[in-house]
Amino acid sequence: MVDKLVSQLSVISDRLVSLLGFVKNKKRETNVLERVYYYFKIWLLMSKNSFLVMLTQKKLFALFLTGKLVRFAFFSAFLYYLVLGVDRLAGYSVGQTIFFFLTFNIVDVLAQFLFREVYRFRPLVVSGDFDLILTKPYRALFRALLGGADVIDLATIPLLIAALVYVGSSLNPTVFHTFLFTLLLINGLLISAAFHIAVLALGIITLEIDHTIMIYRDLTNLGRLPVDIYKQPLRGIITFFIPVGIMITLPAKALMGLVTFYGVLFSFVLGITAIGLSLRFWDFALKHYTSASS
Amino acid sequence: MWRIRNVMQILLVYFLWDAVFSDPDRIVFGYDRAKILTYVLGLVFVKAFVLSARAADVAGEVSQGDLSNYLVKPVNYFKYWLVRDISSKVLNLTFALIEMFFLFLLLKPSFYIQTNILSLLGFVVSVVLAMFIYFTLIFINSSVSFWIPEAAWGVHFLVGVVIVEFLSGALFPLDLLPSTVQTALNLTPFPYLIFFPLQVYLGNVTGFAMIRGLLVCGVWVVLLFYVMSYVWRRGLKVYQAYGR
Repeated sequence: MVDKLVSQLSVISDRLVSLLGFVKNKKRETNVLERVYYYFKIWLLMSKNSFLVMLTQKKLFALFLTGKLVRFAFFSAFLYYLVLGVDRLAGYSVGQTIFFFLTFNIVDVLAQFLFREVYRFRPLVVSGDFDLILTKPYRALFRALLGGADVIDLATIPLLIAALVYVGSSLNPTVFHTFLFTLLLINGLLISAAFHIAVLALGIITLEIDHTIMIYRDLTNLGRLPVDIYKQPLRGIITFFIPVGIMITLPAKALMGLVTFYGVLFSFVLGITAIGLSLRFWDFALKHYTSASS
Repeated sequence: MWRIRNVMQILLVYFLWDAVFSDPDRIVFGYDRAKILTYVLGLVFVKAFVLSARAADVAGEVSQGDLSNYLVKPVNYFKYWLVRDISSKVLNLTFALIEMFFLFLLLKPSFYIQTNILSLLGFVVSVVLAMFIYFTLIFINSSVSFWIPEAAWGVHFLVGVVIVEFLSGALFPLDLLPSTVQTALNLTPFPYLIFFPLQVYLGNVTGFAMIRGLLVCGVWVVLLFYVMSYVWRRGLKVYQAYGR
Protein backbone atom coordinates (compact mmCIF):
# COMPACT_ATOMS: atom_id res chain seq x y z
CA MET A 1 0.00 0.00 0.00
CA VAL A 2 2.76 2.40 1.05
CA ASP A 3 4.87 1.28 -1.92
CA LYS A 4 1.95 1.99 -4.25
CA LEU A 5 1.47 5.44 -2.70
CA VAL A 6 5.18 6.24 -2.99
CA SER A 7 5.30 5.16 -6.63
CA GLN A 8 2.17 7.23 -7.43
CA LEU A 9 3.67 10.24 -5.63
CA SER A 10 6.89 9.83 -7.54
CA VAL A 11 4.98 9.73 -10.87
CA ILE A 12 3.04 12.84 -9.87
CA SER A 13 6.20 14.68 -8.81
CA ASP A 14 7.95 13.68 -12.07
CA ARG A 15 5.02 15.01 -14.06
CA LEU A 16 4.98 18.20 -11.99
CA VAL A 17 8.70 18.71 -12.52
CA SER A 18 8.38 18.19 -16.26
CA LEU A 19 5.35 20.49 -16.34
CA LEU A 20 7.24 23.18 -14.41
CA GLY A 21 10.21 22.75 -16.75
CA PHE A 22 7.95 23.15 -19.77
CA VAL A 23 6.38 26.30 -18.30
CA LYS A 24 9.84 27.66 -17.44
CA ASN A 25 11.17 26.93 -20.93
CA LYS A 26 8.09 28.46 -22.50
CA LYS A 27 8.53 31.55 -20.35
CA ARG A 28 12.19 31.75 -21.31
CA GLU A 29 11.32 31.47 -25.00
CA THR A 30 8.71 34.19 -24.62
CA ASN A 31 11.28 36.36 -22.83
CA VAL A 32 13.83 35.88 -25.61
CA LEU A 33 11.25 36.75 -28.25
CA GLU A 34 10.19 39.79 -26.24
CA ARG A 35 13.81 40.93 -25.96
CA VAL A 36 14.36 40.46 -29.69
CA TYR A 37 11.19 42.44 -30.44
CA TYR A 38 12.23 45.13 -27.93
CA TYR A 39 15.63 45.55 -29.58
CA PHE A 40 14.13 45.40 -33.05
CA LYS A 41 11.79 48.26 -32.18
CA ILE A 42 14.72 50.31 -30.86
CA TRP A 43 16.74 49.52 -33.99
CA LEU A 44 13.87 50.66 -36.21
CA LEU A 45 13.59 53.89 -34.24
CA MET A 46 17.32 54.61 -34.38
CA SER A 47 17.48 53.73 -38.08
CA LYS A 48 14.55 56.02 -38.82
CA ASN A 49 16.31 58.88 -37.03
CA SER A 50 19.53 58.16 -38.89
CA PHE A 51 17.71 58.12 -42.26
CA LEU A 52 15.94 61.39 -41.45
CA VAL A 53 19.26 63.08 -40.67
CA MET A 54 20.73 61.92 -43.99
CA LEU A 55 17.63 62.77 -46.00
CA THR A 56 17.68 66.37 -44.78
CA GLN A 57 20.80 66.70 -46.95
CA LYS A 58 19.34 65.51 -50.21
CA LYS A 59 22.17 66.82 -52.42
CA LEU A 60 24.80 65.08 -50.32
CA PHE A 61 22.74 61.91 -50.35
CA ALA A 62 22.42 62.05 -54.15
CA LEU A 63 26.17 62.67 -54.60
CA PHE A 64 27.25 59.80 -52.37
CA LEU A 65 24.73 57.42 -53.88
CA THR A 66 25.88 58.37 -57.39
CA GLY A 67 29.51 57.95 -56.32
CA LYS A 68 28.89 54.47 -54.96
CA LEU A 69 26.95 53.38 -58.03
CA VAL A 70 29.55 54.82 -60.40
CA ARG A 71 32.37 53.07 -58.52
CA PHE A 72 30.49 49.78 -58.65
CA ALA A 73 29.79 50.18 -62.38
CA PHE A 74 33.41 51.14 -63.16
CA PHE A 75 34.91 48.21 -61.28
CA SER A 76 32.42 45.75 -62.83
CA ALA A 77 33.26 47.08 -66.30
CA PHE A 78 36.99 46.83 -65.57
CA LEU A 79 36.67 43.18 -64.46
CA TYR A 80 34.49 42.37 -67.44
CA TYR A 81 36.93 43.77 -70.01
CA LEU A 82 39.93 42.34 -68.17
CA VAL A 83 38.66 38.76 -67.97
CA LEU A 84 37.28 39.03 -71.51
CA GLY A 85 40.76 39.98 -72.71
CA VAL A 86 42.68 37.32 -70.77
CA ASP A 87 40.01 34.58 -71.12
CA ARG A 88 40.20 33.40 -67.45
CA LEU A 89 41.46 34.88 -64.17
CA ALA A 90 43.19 32.33 -61.92
CA GLY A 91 41.03 29.70 -63.62
CA TYR A 92 37.72 31.56 -63.16
CA SER A 93 35.44 32.66 -66.00
CA VAL A 94 34.01 36.19 -66.49
CA GLY A 95 30.75 35.24 -64.76
CA GLN A 96 32.54 33.64 -61.82
CA THR A 97 34.91 36.60 -61.37
CA ILE A 98 32.00 39.05 -61.45
CA PHE A 99 30.19 36.84 -58.91
CA PHE A 100 33.18 37.03 -56.53
CA PHE A 101 33.05 40.81 -56.87
CA LEU A 102 29.30 40.90 -56.23
CA THR A 103 29.67 38.70 -53.14
CA PHE A 104 32.32 41.07 -51.82
CA ASN A 105 29.96 43.98 -52.45
CA ILE A 106 26.96 42.46 -50.70
CA VAL A 107 29.01 41.62 -47.56
CA ASP A 108 30.64 45.05 -47.62
CA VAL A 109 27.43 46.99 -48.22
CA LEU A 110 25.41 45.02 -45.64
CA ALA A 111 28.18 45.57 -43.07
CA GLN A 112 28.28 49.30 -43.81
CA PHE A 113 24.50 49.55 -43.75
CA LEU A 114 24.23 47.82 -40.36
CA PHE A 115 27.43 48.95 -38.63
CA ARG A 116 27.81 52.54 -39.86
CA GLU A 117 27.56 53.83 -36.28
CA VAL A 118 31.02 52.41 -35.58
CA TYR A 119 32.46 55.27 -37.69
CA ARG A 120 30.84 57.76 -35.30
CA PHE A 121 31.92 56.09 -32.07
CA ARG A 122 35.19 57.92 -31.41
CA PRO A 123 33.67 61.35 -30.60
CA LEU A 124 31.41 59.66 -28.03
CA VAL A 125 34.38 58.16 -26.20
CA VAL A 126 36.60 61.23 -26.50
CA SER A 127 33.92 63.61 -25.22
CA GLY A 128 32.66 61.23 -22.53
CA ASP A 129 29.16 61.27 -24.08
CA PHE A 130 29.35 57.49 -24.08
CA ASP A 131 28.25 57.78 -20.40
CA LEU A 132 24.79 58.75 -21.64
CA ILE A 133 24.56 55.53 -23.63
CA LEU A 134 25.71 53.42 -20.69
CA THR A 135 22.80 54.70 -18.60
CA LYS A 136 20.16 53.71 -21.16
CA PRO A 137 18.05 50.55 -20.65
CA TYR A 138 19.68 48.60 -23.49
CA ARG A 139 23.08 47.15 -24.18
CA ALA A 140 25.68 49.82 -24.94
CA LEU A 141 27.19 47.59 -27.62
CA PHE A 142 23.85 47.44 -29.42
CA ARG A 143 23.76 51.22 -29.64
CA ALA A 144 27.44 51.59 -30.59
CA LEU A 145 27.28 48.91 -33.27
CA LEU A 146 23.80 49.16 -34.78
CA GLY A 147 22.69 52.63 -33.74
CA GLY A 148 22.87 54.39 -37.13
CA ALA A 149 21.99 52.37 -40.21
CA ASP A 150 23.13 53.99 -43.46
CA VAL A 151 20.36 54.88 -45.90
CA ILE A 152 22.82 55.27 -48.83
CA ASP A 153 23.91 51.66 -48.50
CA LEU A 154 20.30 50.57 -48.03
CA ALA A 155 19.48 52.10 -51.41
CA THR A 156 22.13 49.98 -53.14
CA ILE A 157 21.16 46.64 -51.52
CA PRO A 158 18.17 45.76 -53.81
CA LEU A 159 20.30 46.46 -56.89
CA LEU A 160 23.10 44.26 -55.59
CA ILE A 161 20.75 41.40 -54.70
CA ALA A 162 19.22 41.57 -58.18
CA ALA A 163 22.72 41.46 -59.73
CA LEU A 164 23.73 38.55 -57.45
CA VAL A 165 20.63 36.57 -58.42
CA TYR A 166 21.13 37.31 -62.13
CA VAL A 167 24.86 36.46 -62.29
CA GLY A 168 24.53 33.64 -59.73
CA SER A 169 21.76 31.90 -61.65
CA SER A 170 23.88 31.96 -64.82
CA LEU A 171 26.37 29.73 -62.94
CA ASN A 172 23.64 27.04 -62.64
CA PRO A 173 23.90 26.31 -58.90
CA THR A 174 21.95 23.52 -57.16
CA VAL A 175 19.44 24.31 -54.40
CA PHE A 176 21.88 22.90 -51.82
CA HIS A 177 24.74 25.10 -53.06
CA THR A 178 22.49 28.16 -53.01
CA PHE A 179 21.48 27.31 -49.42
CA LEU A 180 25.14 26.87 -48.45
CA PHE A 181 26.01 30.18 -50.11
CA THR A 182 23.33 31.96 -48.06
CA LEU A 183 24.50 30.33 -44.82
CA LEU A 184 28.15 31.19 -45.49
CA LEU A 185 27.17 34.74 -46.40
CA ILE A 186 25.48 35.10 -42.99
CA ASN A 187 28.61 33.61 -41.43
CA GLY A 188 30.70 36.20 -43.31
CA LEU A 189 28.51 38.93 -41.91
CA LEU A 190 28.99 37.46 -38.44
CA ILE A 191 32.78 37.66 -38.87
CA SER A 192 32.40 41.22 -40.10
CA ALA A 193 30.33 42.04 -36.99
CA ALA A 194 33.10 40.52 -34.85
CA PHE A 195 35.64 42.82 -36.54
CA HIS A 196 33.48 45.87 -35.94
CA ILE A 197 32.98 44.94 -32.27
CA ALA A 198 36.74 44.48 -31.89
CA VAL A 199 37.30 47.91 -33.48
CA LEU A 200 34.85 49.49 -31.00
CA ALA A 201 36.59 47.79 -28.09
CA LEU A 202 39.97 48.92 -29.35
CA GLY A 203 38.51 52.41 -29.69
CA ILE A 204 37.61 52.51 -25.99
CA ILE A 205 41.12 51.45 -24.97
CA THR A 206 43.20 53.44 -27.48
CA LEU A 207 40.75 56.14 -28.74
CA GLU A 208 41.77 55.08 -32.25
CA ILE A 209 38.90 54.06 -34.54
CA ASP A 210 39.10 55.78 -37.92
CA HIS A 211 42.34 54.24 -39.13
CA THR A 212 41.59 50.81 -37.69
CA ILE A 213 38.25 50.62 -39.47
CA MET A 214 39.76 51.87 -42.74
CA ILE A 215 42.52 49.26 -42.55
CA TYR A 216 39.83 46.62 -41.99
CA ARG A 217 38.06 47.91 -45.09
CA ASP A 218 41.25 47.89 -47.15
CA LEU A 219 41.88 44.31 -46.10
CA THR A 220 38.36 43.27 -47.02
CA ASN A 221 38.88 45.07 -50.35
CA LEU A 222 41.41 42.35 -51.13
CA GLY A 223 38.35 40.09 -51.28
CA ARG A 224 37.04 41.90 -54.37
CA LEU A 225 38.81 39.13 -56.24
CA PRO A 226 39.12 35.43 -55.32
CA VAL A 227 41.89 34.97 -52.74
CA ASP A 228 43.39 32.32 -55.06
CA ILE A 229 45.14 35.11 -56.99
CA TYR A 230 47.30 36.05 -54.00
CA LYS A 231 50.58 34.33 -53.26
CA GLN A 232 51.63 32.85 -49.93
CA PRO A 233 52.01 34.02 -47.21
CA LEU A 234 49.47 36.78 -48.06
CA ARG A 235 46.89 34.21 -49.15
CA GLY A 236 47.22 32.36 -45.83
CA ILE A 237 46.96 35.59 -43.85
CA ILE A 238 43.78 36.76 -45.59
CA THR A 239 42.23 33.30 -45.46
CA PHE A 240 42.80 32.36 -41.83
CA PHE A 241 44.29 35.23 -39.81
CA ILE A 242 42.15 38.05 -41.23
CA PRO A 243 39.55 35.75 -42.77
CA VAL A 244 38.61 37.77 -45.85
CA GLY A 245 38.68 34.52 -47.81
CA ILE A 246 36.17 32.91 -45.46
CA MET A 247 33.97 36.01 -45.39
CA ILE A 248 33.82 36.55 -49.13
CA THR A 249 35.58 33.99 -51.33
CA LEU A 250 34.21 30.88 -49.60
CA PRO A 251 30.48 31.76 -49.95
CA ALA A 252 31.00 32.46 -53.65
CA LYS A 253 32.89 29.19 -54.07
CA ALA A 254 30.07 27.37 -52.25
CA LEU A 255 27.62 28.52 -54.90
CA MET A 256 29.98 27.18 -57.56
CA GLY A 257 30.23 23.86 -55.72
CA LEU A 258 33.94 24.31 -55.03
CA VAL A 259 34.05 23.88 -51.22
CA THR A 260 34.67 20.85 -49.03
CA PHE A 261 32.70 19.80 -45.96
CA TYR A 262 35.67 20.59 -43.68
CA GLY A 263 36.07 24.01 -45.25
CA VAL A 264 32.43 24.84 -44.46
CA LEU A 265 32.71 23.42 -40.93
CA PHE A 266 35.89 25.38 -40.27
CA SER A 267 34.31 28.63 -41.46
CA PHE A 268 31.32 28.23 -39.11
CA VAL A 269 33.61 27.41 -36.18
CA LEU A 270 35.69 30.46 -37.03
CA GLY A 271 32.61 32.69 -37.27
CA ILE A 272 31.26 31.61 -33.88
CA THR A 273 34.72 31.83 -32.26
CA ALA A 274 35.30 35.30 -33.73
CA ILE A 275 32.02 36.68 -32.41
CA GLY A 276 32.63 35.07 -28.98
CA LEU A 277 36.13 36.51 -28.70
CA SER A 278 35.05 39.96 -29.86
CA LEU A 279 32.26 40.05 -27.24
CA ARG A 280 34.75 39.14 -24.52
CA PHE A 281 37.10 41.83 -25.80
CA TRP A 282 34.23 44.35 -25.66
CA ASP A 283 33.48 43.40 -22.04
CA PHE A 284 37.16 43.77 -21.21
CA ALA A 285 37.35 47.18 -22.91
CA LEU A 286 34.20 48.41 -21.19
CA LYS A 287 35.81 47.78 -17.81
CA HIS A 288 38.64 50.09 -18.88
CA TYR A 289 36.40 52.94 -20.02
CA THR A 290 37.51 55.96 -17.99
CA SER A 291 34.68 58.36 -18.84
CA ALA A 292 37.32 61.06 -19.44
CA SER A 293 36.10 64.59 -20.35
CA SER A 294 32.62 63.97 -19.00
CA MET B 1 48.50 55.08 -41.63
CA TRP B 2 47.26 56.47 -44.97
CA ARG B 3 50.42 55.12 -46.56
CA ILE B 4 49.64 51.61 -45.28
CA ARG B 5 46.25 51.94 -46.93
CA ASN B 6 47.94 53.00 -50.15
CA VAL B 7 50.24 49.96 -50.07
CA MET B 8 47.26 47.64 -49.60
CA GLN B 9 45.54 49.14 -52.63
CA ILE B 10 48.71 48.64 -54.66
CA LEU B 11 48.96 45.02 -53.46
CA LEU B 12 45.45 44.29 -54.77
CA VAL B 13 46.35 45.61 -58.22
CA TYR B 14 49.79 43.97 -58.17
CA PHE B 15 48.50 40.48 -57.38
CA LEU B 16 45.68 40.85 -59.87
CA TRP B 17 48.14 41.49 -62.69
CA ASP B 18 50.57 38.92 -61.31
CA ALA B 19 47.79 36.33 -61.69
CA VAL B 20 47.02 37.51 -65.22
CA PHE B 21 50.70 37.25 -66.17
CA SER B 22 51.42 33.96 -64.40
CA ASP B 23 52.92 32.85 -67.72
CA PRO B 24 56.00 35.14 -68.04
CA ASP B 25 55.94 35.06 -71.86
CA ARG B 26 52.33 36.16 -72.10
CA ILE B 27 51.46 39.48 -73.74
CA VAL B 28 48.04 40.96 -72.95
CA PHE B 29 46.66 44.37 -74.01
CA GLY B 30 50.13 45.13 -75.44
CA TYR B 31 51.91 44.63 -72.10
CA ASP B 32 54.38 41.96 -71.09
CA ARG B 33 54.91 40.95 -67.44
CA ALA B 34 57.75 43.42 -66.79
CA LYS B 35 55.86 46.39 -68.24
CA ILE B 36 52.60 45.74 -66.43
CA LEU B 37 54.33 45.25 -63.06
CA THR B 38 56.34 48.41 -63.71
CA TYR B 39 53.04 50.19 -64.37
CA VAL B 40 51.65 48.93 -61.03
CA LEU B 41 54.73 49.84 -59.00
CA GLY B 42 55.02 53.13 -60.90
CA LEU B 43 51.56 53.92 -59.51
CA VAL B 44 53.07 54.19 -56.02
CA PHE B 45 55.40 56.92 -57.20
CA VAL B 46 53.08 58.82 -59.57
CA LYS B 47 50.09 58.70 -57.21
CA ALA B 48 52.25 59.98 -54.36
CA PHE B 49 53.28 62.93 -56.49
CA VAL B 50 50.10 63.75 -58.39
CA LEU B 51 47.16 62.68 -56.23
CA SER B 52 48.44 63.70 -52.81
CA ALA B 53 46.93 67.17 -52.58
CA ARG B 54 46.12 69.12 -49.45
CA ALA B 55 43.95 71.46 -51.53
CA ALA B 56 41.04 69.11 -50.88
CA ASP B 57 40.74 70.91 -47.51
CA VAL B 58 39.82 74.17 -49.27
CA ALA B 59 36.16 73.06 -49.36
CA GLY B 60 36.11 72.86 -45.56
CA GLU B 61 37.65 76.31 -45.21
CA VAL B 62 35.01 77.80 -47.49
CA SER B 63 32.04 76.03 -45.88
CA GLN B 64 33.17 76.85 -42.32
CA GLY B 65 34.07 80.45 -43.04
CA ASP B 66 37.79 79.99 -42.33
CA LEU B 67 38.53 81.44 -45.76
CA SER B 68 37.96 84.91 -44.25
CA ASN B 69 41.26 84.58 -42.33
CA TYR B 70 43.15 84.47 -45.63
CA LEU B 71 41.12 87.07 -47.49
CA VAL B 72 42.26 89.78 -45.07
CA LYS B 73 45.94 88.82 -45.38
CA PRO B 74 48.35 89.83 -48.16
CA VAL B 75 48.58 86.21 -49.32
CA ASN B 76 47.74 84.74 -52.69
CA TYR B 77 45.39 81.91 -51.73
CA PHE B 78 46.23 79.74 -54.78
CA LYS B 79 49.96 80.03 -54.23
CA TYR B 80 49.51 79.33 -50.53
CA TRP B 81 47.76 76.02 -51.27
CA LEU B 82 50.16 75.18 -54.06
CA VAL B 83 53.06 75.44 -51.62
CA ARG B 84 51.19 73.34 -49.06
CA ASP B 85 50.52 70.79 -51.81
CA ILE B 86 54.18 70.63 -52.78
CA SER B 87 55.29 70.13 -49.19
CA SER B 88 52.73 67.35 -48.83
CA LYS B 89 54.00 65.77 -52.03
CA VAL B 90 57.60 65.80 -50.79
CA LEU B 91 56.46 63.98 -47.66
CA ASN B 92 54.44 61.46 -49.67
CA LEU B 93 57.24 60.98 -52.14
CA THR B 94 59.67 60.15 -49.35
CA PHE B 95 57.29 57.52 -48.01
CA ALA B 96 56.62 56.24 -51.54
CA LEU B 97 60.34 55.66 -52.11
CA ILE B 98 60.60 53.70 -48.83
CA GLU B 99 57.51 51.67 -49.77
CA MET B 100 58.92 50.98 -53.24
CA PHE B 101 62.12 49.72 -51.63
CA PHE B 102 60.25 47.29 -49.37
CA LEU B 103 57.87 46.20 -52.12
CA PHE B 104 60.86 45.39 -54.29
CA LEU B 105 62.46 43.37 -51.51
CA LEU B 106 59.20 41.56 -50.77
CA LEU B 107 57.85 40.91 -54.26
CA LYS B 108 61.04 40.85 -56.35
CA PRO B 109 59.04 41.92 -59.43
CA SER B 110 60.15 42.06 -63.04
CA PHE B 111 60.81 45.74 -63.68
CA TYR B 112 61.23 47.72 -66.87
CA ILE B 113 63.98 50.32 -66.58
CA GLN B 114 63.67 53.15 -69.07
CA THR B 115 67.06 54.24 -70.42
CA ASN B 116 65.95 56.71 -73.11
CA ILE B 117 66.75 60.23 -71.86
CA LEU B 118 63.91 61.82 -73.87
CA SER B 119 61.34 59.42 -72.42
CA LEU B 120 62.62 60.06 -68.90
CA LEU B 121 62.50 63.82 -69.49
CA GLY B 122 58.99 63.51 -70.96
CA PHE B 123 57.95 61.48 -67.91
CA VAL B 124 59.17 64.15 -65.47
CA VAL B 125 57.46 66.97 -67.43
CA SER B 126 54.20 65.00 -67.71
CA VAL B 127 54.17 64.29 -63.97
CA VAL B 128 54.67 67.98 -63.14
CA LEU B 129 51.88 68.98 -65.57
CA ALA B 130 49.65 66.26 -64.07
CA MET B 131 50.25 67.77 -60.64
CA PHE B 132 48.95 71.16 -61.88
CA ILE B 133 45.94 69.55 -63.59
CA TYR B 134 44.97 67.78 -60.37
CA PHE B 135 45.51 70.92 -58.31
CA THR B 136 43.15 72.95 -60.50
CA LEU B 137 40.58 70.14 -60.61
CA ILE B 138 40.54 69.90 -56.82
CA PHE B 139 40.21 73.69 -56.49
CA ILE B 140 37.26 73.76 -58.92
CA ASN B 141 35.64 70.92 -56.95
CA SER B 142 36.16 72.71 -53.67
CA SER B 143 34.59 75.88 -55.08
CA VAL B 144 31.23 74.07 -55.06
CA SER B 145 31.21 74.89 -51.31
CA PHE B 146 30.46 78.54 -52.14
CA TRP B 147 27.04 77.51 -53.44
CA ILE B 148 26.37 74.19 -51.66
CA PRO B 149 28.49 74.15 -48.46
CA GLU B 150 27.09 70.85 -47.21
CA ALA B 151 27.81 68.99 -50.46
CA ALA B 152 31.54 69.74 -50.73
CA TRP B 153 32.69 66.39 -49.37
CA GLY B 154 30.18 64.62 -51.64
CA VAL B 155 31.59 66.32 -54.74
CA HIS B 156 35.13 65.47 -53.67
CA PHE B 157 34.12 61.83 -53.17
CA LEU B 158 32.46 61.63 -56.57
CA VAL B 159 35.07 63.47 -58.66
CA GLY B 160 38.29 63.48 -56.59
CA VAL B 161 38.04 59.89 -55.40
CA VAL B 162 35.78 57.75 -57.62
CA ILE B 163 36.09 59.31 -61.08
CA VAL B 164 39.77 60.22 -60.81
CA GLU B 165 40.67 56.76 -59.45
CA PHE B 166 39.12 54.95 -62.40
CA LEU B 167 39.51 57.33 -65.31
CA SER B 168 43.09 58.38 -64.56
CA GLY B 169 44.43 54.85 -64.80
CA ALA B 170 45.20 54.62 -61.07
CA LEU B 171 43.58 51.21 -60.89
CA PHE B 172 44.30 49.72 -64.32
CA PRO B 173 45.91 50.79 -67.62
CA LEU B 174 43.21 52.47 -69.66
CA ASP B 175 44.17 50.69 -72.89
CA LEU B 176 42.30 47.57 -71.80
CA LEU B 177 39.07 49.49 -72.39
CA PRO B 178 37.41 49.47 -75.86
CA SER B 179 38.94 51.97 -78.28
CA THR B 180 35.77 54.12 -78.43
CA VAL B 181 35.86 54.56 -74.65
CA GLN B 182 39.56 55.40 -74.82
CA THR B 183 38.92 58.02 -77.51
CA ALA B 184 36.20 59.59 -75.38
CA LEU B 185 38.42 59.52 -72.29
CA ASN B 186 41.25 61.25 -74.14
CA LEU B 187 38.97 64.26 -74.52
CA THR B 188 38.99 64.68 -70.71
CA PRO B 189 41.92 65.67 -68.46
CA PHE B 190 41.78 62.44 -66.40
CA PRO B 191 44.08 60.13 -68.43
CA TYR B 192 46.83 62.79 -68.24
CA LEU B 193 47.01 62.44 -64.45
CA ILE B 194 48.42 58.91 -64.18
CA PHE B 195 48.04 56.91 -67.38
CA PHE B 196 49.87 59.24 -69.75
CA PRO B 197 52.99 59.79 -67.57
CA LEU B 198 53.36 56.04 -67.06
CA GLN B 199 52.93 55.39 -70.79
CA VAL B 200 55.72 57.87 -71.45
CA TYR B 201 57.97 56.12 -68.92
CA LEU B 202 57.24 52.69 -70.39
CA GLY B 203 58.13 53.98 -73.86
CA ASN B 204 54.64 53.25 -75.23
CA VAL B 205 54.26 56.93 -76.17
CA THR B 206 57.31 58.39 -77.88
CA GLY B 207 58.37 61.05 -80.40
CA PHE B 208 55.62 63.19 -81.88
CA ALA B 209 52.87 61.41 -79.88
CA MET B 210 54.70 62.26 -76.66
CA ILE B 211 55.13 65.92 -77.60
CA ARG B 212 51.49 66.14 -78.66
CA GLY B 213 50.43 64.56 -75.34
CA LEU B 214 52.55 67.02 -73.39
CA LEU B 215 51.02 69.90 -75.34
CA VAL B 216 47.52 68.62 -74.56
CA CYS B 217 48.53 68.48 -70.87
CA GLY B 218 49.71 72.09 -71.10
CA VAL B 219 46.45 73.15 -72.73
CA TRP B 220 44.48 71.45 -69.95
CA VAL B 221 46.55 73.23 -67.29
CA VAL B 222 45.87 76.64 -68.87
CA LEU B 223 42.20 75.91 -69.54
CA LEU B 224 41.53 74.53 -66.05
CA PHE B 225 43.45 77.44 -64.48
CA TYR B 226 41.13 79.93 -66.22
CA VAL B 227 38.05 77.92 -65.23
CA MET B 228 39.34 77.75 -61.64
CA SER B 229 39.96 81.53 -61.52
CA TYR B 230 36.56 82.26 -63.03
CA VAL B 231 34.65 79.93 -60.68
CA TRP B 232 36.64 81.24 -57.70
CA ARG B 233 35.84 84.87 -58.52
CA ARG B 234 32.14 84.04 -58.93
CA GLY B 235 32.26 82.09 -55.68
CA LEU B 236 33.83 84.95 -53.73
CA LYS B 237 30.91 87.17 -54.76
CA VAL B 238 28.44 84.83 -53.05
CA TYR B 239 30.72 83.97 -50.10
CA GLN B 240 28.99 84.84 -46.82
CA ALA B 241 31.52 83.49 -44.29
CA TYR B 242 29.09 81.08 -42.70
CA GLY B 243 30.15 80.11 -39.19
CA ARG B 244 32.09 83.33 -38.61
